[in-house]
Amino acid sequence: MSLLAQMVALQEAHGAVTDADLRTLSREAGVPLHRLQGLRSFYPQFSSAPARVPTIAVCRDVVCRMRGGSALDRYLEGDGARDGNMVPVSCLGRCDRAPAALIDERPHQLRFEDAGGDTGSPQAEPLLPAAVRPWGIDPYTEAKSHYGTLREWLARGDVDALIDTLKESGLKGMGGAGFPAGVKWEACRKAEHPVRAVVCNADESEPGTFKDRTILAELPHLVIEGMLLAAWACNAREGIIYLRHEYEPERHALEQALQDARARGTLGANALGPGRAFDIRVFVSPGGYILGEETALLEALEDRRGEPRNKPPFPVTHGLEGQPTLLNNVETLAASVSILHHGADWWHRQGRNGGSGLKLLAVSGDVEQPDVYCVPMGTTARELLEAAGGMRDGAQPLAFFPGGASTNPLPAAALDTPMDWEALREEGSALGSGAVTFVAEGRNLLELVLAQVRFFRNESCGKCVPCRVGSHKAVEMVEAALAGAPEAGLPETLRRLDGTLARTSICGLGQVALAPLVALMDRFPRETWQVLAGGEETR
Amino acid sequence: MTDVTLRIDGMSVTVPAGTTIWDAARDAGIDIPVLCHDPRMAPVGVCRLCAVDVGGRTLAAACVRACEEGMEVRTSTEQVQQDRRTLLDLLLSDYPDVSRRERSTGDDALLAQARKHGISNIPYPDGSRASPRGEDHSSQVITVDHQACILCDRCIRGCNELQHNDVLTRSGKGYRTRIAFDLDTPMGESTCVACGECAAVCPTGALTNRALDGIALVSEEET
Ligand SMILES: Cc1cc2nc3c(=O)[nH]c(=O)nc-3n(C[C@H](O)[C@H](O)[C@H](O)COP(=O)(O)O)c2cc1C
Ligand code: SF4
Repeated sequence: MSLLAQMVALQEAHGAVTDADLRTLSREAGVPLHRLQGLRSFYPQFSSAPARVPTIAVCRDVVCRMRGGSALDRYLEGDGARDGNMVPVSCLGRCDRAPAALIDERPHQLRFEDAGGDTGSPQAEPLLPAAVRPWGIDPYTEAKSHYGTLREWLARGDVDALIDTLKESGLKGMGGAGFPAGVKWEACRKAEHPVRAVVCNADESEPGTFKDRTILAELPHLVIEGMLLAAWACNAREGIIYLRHEYEPERHALEQALQDARARGTLGANALGPGRAFDIRVFVSPGGYILGEETALLEALEDRRGEPRNKPPFPVTHGLEGQPTLLNNVETLAASVSILHHGADWWHRQGRNGGSGLKLLAVSGDVEQPDVYCVPMGTTARELLEAAGGMRDGAQPLAFFPGGASTNPLPAAALDTPMDWEALREEGSALGSGAVTFVAEGRNLLELVLAQVRFFRNESCGKCVPCRVGSHKAVEMVEAALAGAPEAGLPETLRRLDGTLARTSICGLGQVALAPLVALMDRFPRETWQVLAGGEETR
Repeated sequence: MTDVTLRIDGMSVTVPAGTTIWDAARDAGIDIPVLCHDPRMAPVGVCRLCAVDVGGRTLAAACVRACEEGMEVRTSTEQVQQDRRTLLDLLLSDYPDVSRRERSTGDDALLAQARKHGISNIPYPDGSRASPRGEDHSSQVITVDHQACILCDRCIRGCNELQHNDVLTRSGKGYRTRIAFDLDTPMGESTCVACGECAAVCPTGALTNRALDGIALVSEEET
């Protein structure tokens, strides 16, 4: 068992990983104490002393803040702390049921009796699995036909044709970076050394993002089949699903689907043909948004602090244990099955307004029905908003974040933009992690953007100077401005800082951490961010 | 191993494949500033001061980035210099008023870079006052000033990789990251054998020789 897995087991068994535990582990595993301290202090799931009472982990990020309102603010910043067992945590991926919390590791939705003044403890309603519903990206109508696409390709035996189909479809990585999946699979197939693993990135942790959660819960067989097809295409040794630990209910669905696949013989000794074994294991992350960055994820799989590597080299050539590794997002793998089932032309026909294929979008914020929607790529933001029941309580839209916390907010005037890679890029934002958060008129946009920057500050791994120090300073300066004491020249300072973070940070987190702040100043009326410029007048 | 040819600041250079930009530049007589890198150690590319323009969307850390055939490297464009000044501003905004290294041996590398880059007005809030990170005086030999630590990783590599003493780590995450000994024990109570490597390789006032600090203080007071 890996060191991290042993530490997770200790944490689950005793509610802590104590110094005594680490001394024993150090002796038994023959690793120095400092390494274990490095791990324990890096991953939020570990604590060095047990909590006295069951813990309520309450989301402090943007969507829950919007839904929870001032009652949640007060709870997070004071009233909750009084109970002694409430900890504010980063986005839990349950933004459709905001404000969200984990109570004893189980997901709940909180409800506050908002009578103003003092806030009592909230009511908590456990979140149950969604009822089964049909999804456009699922090519199967009944369970017995699952894995039929894999069977067909194995029988046909033409790996080149498979890669060509994927390349022709133009499927892009749905984890946020949009790298063409077919090109990545081909690079792995042609790698000089044997492919170590196919890794499914199920660490989904960006505020507003919960599409992968829905796929894992409702279509786990597609994820498994996608991994099998990828493994066959590039001859990989094993499959690993890197899952965020807050997705405990989804983990059960996944484990069940894995058992089912093993029982069918789809996984196991002859998974990829006679004598070609392949199996998939689930690795539960000890926590932190940064672990979704592909090389940080690999560091965790290798029992180190999840700090991103300098790139190049990329995982396709130097991945797990320095060997070629294929890493894809949950949705990328699921969509690949549909494409390989129906063909590349079918995929192209699913899109609209110049887009190709289908897209799962997690809609949250001030809408009537926050949920995951499977829509043709190229559907406009306005149509998506309508699909989600429109703005809540008939409010007017003010802005929207089209692709998660790291994408630039767009004004309501841009609602007719097609939700597609190119169109959103031209509009100055991005499709990002497939998380669309709508914001109603009347909200303080600067505060929402600050919440996003705070998230990045909180989740920075701390490895490189620009992100570690720069994100912290930016939060401090914007907080000071909101408190009425802006530094002179703050807008210019923030722009310069953003440029340096974008150009010199090691990974995507630091590179985009301040971008939404600058986008706010560039794209929105001055009154929305006037407090940042308040220092000018006092100069 | 094959060779690659590239241009650094207009100069054509041929080096064995795998050579870093920093090494290639140094051999060509071009000095790229660094804080975290030490040629005796495996590079980690964390201070980002060696960022250079290779024509990409982002800059490349010269200490870790391998030279490529046909690469066009520019080591000190106006943009690059500006970014280096911002990085130094950020580090200095948290730096203590007095560096024990500068005070004793006068070779604080961060302050030297600050002078070289003409740093004067720092636009960022002073972190050394708002949330001081503390000091550790438990060791008889070495003084730890966490406020002067820039997390360059040199002490960690010095302790674990050069000396194989295996005592030092980064502890915590993000802005709260600090260096730590064993299970975050005070240095004097840890398994540290007082070899002095960490203080020898530290570029700032974070890890300094206690004896030297005393001597310099006396001589300073005498003048
Ligand atoms: C800070 C950060 C967090 C990320 N988090 C995730 C994540 O949770 N899930 C994911 O699939 N990709 C995430 N990514 C993108 C991955 O690094 C990687 O590009 C992706 O998993 C590759 O799969 P794809 O090509 O199928 O999208 C993240 C990137 C960064 C920089
Ligand atoms: S950019 Fe931020 S998260 Fe990424 S490596 Fe640097 S400090 Fe870590």
